[in-house]
Amino acid sequence: MKSRKIALWIVLMLVVFLPSLGFAQEKVIRIGALYPMTGRSGLYGMDSVAAAEMAIDEINAKGGAAGYKLDIIFTDSKSKPAYAVRVAERYITEDKVHFLFGVVSSAVGLAVTEISRQNKVIFIGTDHAATELTLDNFQPYYFRVSNNTFQSMTAGALYLKELQKEKPWKTISYIGPDYAYGHSQLDEIQYNLKRFGVDFQLVSKYLPKLYEPDYTSFITSLIKDKPDVLVSGFWGGDTVAFIKQAKAYGLFEKMLYFHPDAGGNYEVMSALGAEMPAGLVLSARHHNNWPDTELNRRYVAEFKRRTGRYPTYAAEGAYAGIYAIARAVEKVGTPDNTEALVKALEGLQIKLPEDPDGFTSYIDPQTHQIVQVQAIGVSVPDDNFPPAKMMLGKWKVYKAEDLLPPKELIEKRLKK
Amino acid sequence: MDFAFLATQMVSGFSLATLLFLNASGLTLIFGVGRIFNFAHGSFYMLGAYFGYQVSAVWGLPFWPAILVAGAAAGIVGSASEYLFLRRIYGRPHEGGFQILLTYCLILIFDDLVKMIWGSEYKSIAKPPGFLGAVQVGDVFIPTYNLAIIAVGLLVVLAAWWILSRTRAGRIARASAVDREILGCLGVNVPLTLTVVFGLATALGGMTGALAAPLRSVTPGAGIEIIIDSLIVVVLGGMGNFWGAWFGAILLGEVNAFAVAFVPEWSSLFSYIVMVLTLIFRPEGLFAPARIRKA
Amino acid sequence: MDLPRRYKFGLLWTAGLLVFALVPLLMTSRYQMNLAGHILVWGLFAVSFNMLWGVTGMLSFGQALYYGIGAYSVGLLVTRVGAAWFFPALGIGLATAALISLLVGLLVIRMTGVYFTMLTLAFAQLAYQVTLKWRDLTGGDDGIQGIIPPGLLADKTFYYYVVLAVVFFSIWVLKRMAYSPFGLVLRCIQQNPERVRFIGRSVRMNQLRIYVISSLFAAAAGALMAGMDSSIHPDMLYWTTSGEVILMSVLGGINRFFGPFIGAIVLILLEDVIGAKTEFWPIVIGSVILVIVILFPRGVVGEAQHLWSRFRGDSSQRSPA
Repeated sequence: MKSRKIALWIVLMLVVFLPSLGFAQEKVIRIGALYPMTGRSGLYGMDSVAAAEMAIDEINAKGGAAGYKLDIIFTDSKSKPAYAVRVAERYITEDKVHFLFGVVSSAVGLAVTEISRQNKVIFIGTDHAATELTLDNFQPYYFRVSNNTFQSMTAGALYLKELQKEKPWKTISYIGPDYAYGHSQLDEIQYNLKRFGVDFQLVSKYLPKLYEPDYTSFITSLIKDKPDVLVSGFWGGDTVAFIKQAKAYGLFEKMLYFHPDAGGNYEVMSALGAEMPAGLVLSARHHNNWPDTELNRRYVAEFKRRTGRYPTYAAEGAYAGIYAIARAVEKVGTPDNTEALVKALEGLQIKLPEDPDGFTSYIDPQTHQIVQVQAIGVSVPDDNFPPAKMMLGKWKVYKAEDLLPPKELIEKRLKK
Repeated sequence: MDFAFLATQMVSGFSLATLLFLNASGLTLIFGVGRIFNFAHGSFYMLGAYFGYQVSAVWGLPFWPAILVAGAAAGIVGSASEYLFLRRIYGRPHEGGFQILLTYCLILIFDDLVKMIWGSEYKSIAKPPGFLGAVQVGDVFIPTYNLAIIAVGLLVVLAAWWILSRTRAGRIARASAVDREILGCLGVNVPLTLTVVFGLATALGGMTGALAAPLRSVTPGAGIEIIIDSLIVVVLGGMGNFWGAWFGAILLGEVNAFAVAFVPEWSSLFSYIVMVLTLIFRPEGLFAPARIRKA
Repeated sequence: MDLPRRYKFGLLWTAGLLVFALVPLLMTSRYQMNLAGHILVWGLFAVSFNMLWGVTGMLSFGQALYYGIGAYSVGLLVTRVGAAWFFPALGIGLATAALISLLVGLLVIRMTGVYFTMLTLAFAQLAYQVTLKWRDLTGGDDGIQGIIPPGLLADKTFYYYVVLAVVFFSIWVLKRMAYSPFGLVLRCIQQNPERVRFIGRSVRMNQLRIYVISSLFAAAAGALMAGMDSSIHPDMLYWTTSGEVILMSVLGGINRFFGPFIGAIVLILLEDVIGAKTEFWPIVIGSVILVIVILFPRGVVGEAQHLWSRFRGDSSQRSPA
C-alpha cells in the first residue's frame, strides 16, 4: 500500500510543480515553435528544430538582432490541430511569445493561423505547403518562408511543357495522398498545364490514404493505365514505400516518374540508398547539392556537423524563418511592435542557402508568401551525401517570378 | 478490362493480403489463447523492422537469418512485457479496458525508445539478393520478393495449424483459451503458457515487420498505422481463428485491390464497409470461433 | 444512503463547480482557462462514454462519431450559414446525433462484448473516411476554421462560463440517471442480463436508450469544443479520439461516476505539462500511466476513495457499481 501512496505523491508533485519551473529573461525575442517530433513526420520536425537552433546560435553569436537575443521554445504538435491550438494559446498568453513559428502539417497550420489572426500574433510558417494559407485563408499576421505547392506545380508544369518538345508525351496519371496536400497538387498541376497551353490528357488519378503501407494494387493499376508521365504528390515515407514497391514491377521503365514538390527531398535518397532508381524527375524546396554556392555548402556542412546527418528541406524552411524574424526585428528595432513587424516582413529580402547567385528570396507583400527559385533535377549516381547513393543532377532552373499564381487568380482567391 | 489485368490485380491483392495476415496472425493468436487484446502489436511490428535493420544493414547478417533474429528479439521483448506488466492486470474486472490502456502505454514507450536509439530518420533494409526482380507469367508480373512473402504467409498458416492441432503445446494453448482454471488444476503452468504464447505472437509481429521493411519505410510511429487494418482482419476471420484470419486477409486484400482498380476515389472506404457488413450479417466473423468459447 | 453522505456529495459538487468557476478570475494567463475548458469538455465526453461502458458494460470504440457530428454541425452551420446559427446548430447536431445513434444503435446492440466494440469502431471509422472524402462539404483534412459563436459568446470568458454551466448541468443529469431506477437496470444489464429479462425489462431497449443518450452528450461535447477552439478537424472522428475517452475512463476509474472526469483532468494535464517540457513526452507519460495502471487497479478515483476509507478505518467500504 505504501508504494501506491508514494507513486500517487510523485504524480501529484509532477503535475503541480513542473509548470512553475519557467524563467524570465530580458531583451529577448521569444519564439514559440510547433513541430511534430514524434511519429512519421517527426523527421521533418527534428530537422526543423535543429536548423532553427543553428540559425539562432549563429545570430546570437553575432550579438542578436537589434540588441535582442533570440529565444525559442519547442513543443511537439503531435500533428494534431486541437492540441496545437492549445499550445499556441499557451505560447501567446503564458510565454508571451512575439512569434508563432513552424508547423509541418497544413491542417495544423490552418488551425494555428486562426489563433494568430484572433490574437494578432505573427505566425511564421516554415514547412507546410497548402496554397490556401497565403490565398483563401490569408490573414495579415501570417507569413510563409517556404514554397507552396502552387509554386512547385507551376515549375513542374513548365518542365513538362519543355519536355513535350524533346520527348513527346500525351497522357499523365496522378498519385498522391488523400488529403488536402495531395488534392491541391492534382488540381494545380492540371490548372498550370492548361494555363501554359500544354496538350495533355489525365488518364487516371489515385489517392491512397496518407501513410498507406501497401501500394501494390495502385502500382498494377497504374501500369495498366499506361500513362506517359506519372505525376506524384507523396511526401516522406510514402514516397520511399511507393518507390520500393514500384521498382520490382518495373514501373519506372514504363513511365516517367515526375515528383516536383517533395520527391527530391533528401530523406528519400538517404532511405533508398542504392535502391533509388536513376532517371526520376524530382524536386524539393531545398537541395543539399544545389545551388553550388558558398552559403549553401556552409549551411549543409554545419547542419551535418551539428546533427550527424544531412538536412531535409524542412530544415531550410526553419532556418529561413529564424533569419526572417531577425531581419524584421533589426529593421523595426523592437520585437514588441507587431504592426511595424508586419510592415517590415512584407517585401523583406533574405539571402538563403537555396538562393542561386544573383537572386535573393523575398516575401511577396500581397500574399505574404516567400518568392523563390525552384530547380528540378533528375536522379543520378552521386555518393557525396551518404547514405544516399543517388542525388539530383541535370538541373533545370525556374525563375521565381514565373512561379507565382497569375494576378486574377490571386485576387479571386484572396477575396474569398 | 482484360483478363491479364484482372489476374495481376488478383495477385497484387494476394500479396497485400499476406502481409495483412502476417500482421494479424500474432494478434489473433494471443487473443484466441489468452483473451488478451494487444493494442501494441503494431509496436512489435515496428521493433521487428528496426531489429531487422540493425542486424542486417548495420551488423551485416544475411537477410533471411536476420529476419528470424529480428522476430526472436521482438518475441523476447514481448515476453518480457507480458511478464513484467500485462500479467499484473489479469483477472481484474474490466480487464479489457486495462489491456487497452496498458498496451497503449507500451506503444508510447516503444515509439520513443526507437526514436532515442535509431533517430527519426527513415531506415531501410535492402531486399535479399535473388529477390530483386519479377517473374512474368504471360502478361502477369509478380515481383519475386512478393512471391517469397506469400510463401512465408502460407508457411506460417500451415505451421500454426500443425502446432495448434497436432502437438501437446498446441493443445495446451487451445485449452487455455477455454478454461484456465481447470488447466491449472491439471498441472499446467498457465502463466508460463501465456508468457510463451505472448512471446510467440509478438515474434510473429516482429518477423512481419522485418519482412515488410524492404517494401515499406521503417520509421517511428509505423506501428500505429497497421493496427487498425490488422484488427479488421482479426474480426473478419473470427477473433482468435487462424484460418479465419488468413481468409479474412485475402478477402480484404482482394476487395481493396479491385476497389483501387474500379473505384479508386472511394477505395479507402471499402475496408470498413466490408467490416460493417460482415459484423452485421455474421456477428462473430466469417469463421466463427469455436462455440465452446462462449461459455 | 445516510444524510452525511448526501451532504458530502453536495459539498464536493460545490467545490468542483467553484474551482472551475474561479479559473477565469484567478488565472495568470488565458491559456489556463483554455485548458480548464478543454478539461470540462473532455470530462463531459468521458463521463457520457462511461455511462455506456462502466455502467452498462458496453465498450464502444466509436463515440468519436457523435463527438464529430456535434462539432461538424456547429462548425458547418456557423461558418456557412451564419454565426447566429450557433444554438440552432447545437440543436441540429443533437438531433442528428440522436437519429444516427438510433439507426446505428439498432445494429450494434445486437452484438455483445468484443463484437460490439469492433462494430462501433467500424462505423466511426467509416464516418471518419466519409468526412475526409466529402471535401466539398467538410473541407476534408483541412477541417473548418473561423468558427466564431455569435454575440456575447464570442467572448472567451463568457463562453467558458457557458461551457461550465452546460457541462455541469449535463453531468448532473447523467448522475441522476446513473442512480435512478433506469441506472439500476443498466447496472443489472452489465452484471446479469438474464435477470433483467426475468424481471420483465427489455435488455435491448435499455441498451439502445443508453446508447442514444450517451451519444447525445458526446455530440454536445463536440459542439462545445467547436466554439471553444474556433476550428475543427476530421481527427475528432478518428479512432484515437474514441480511444482517448477509454483511456480517461480507465485512468480515473470505471466504477466511479466521476472517475472518467478525473481521468480527463489527469490525462490532459499530463499531456500539456509534460508535452511542454520535453519532446520525449511519450516515454514519460507512458511510464507514468503504466505505473498508475499497475499500482491502482481501481483507477485514480477508486484508489483515492479506498485510501481515504482505510485512513478513516472504515472497513465497510462498498462499491457503488
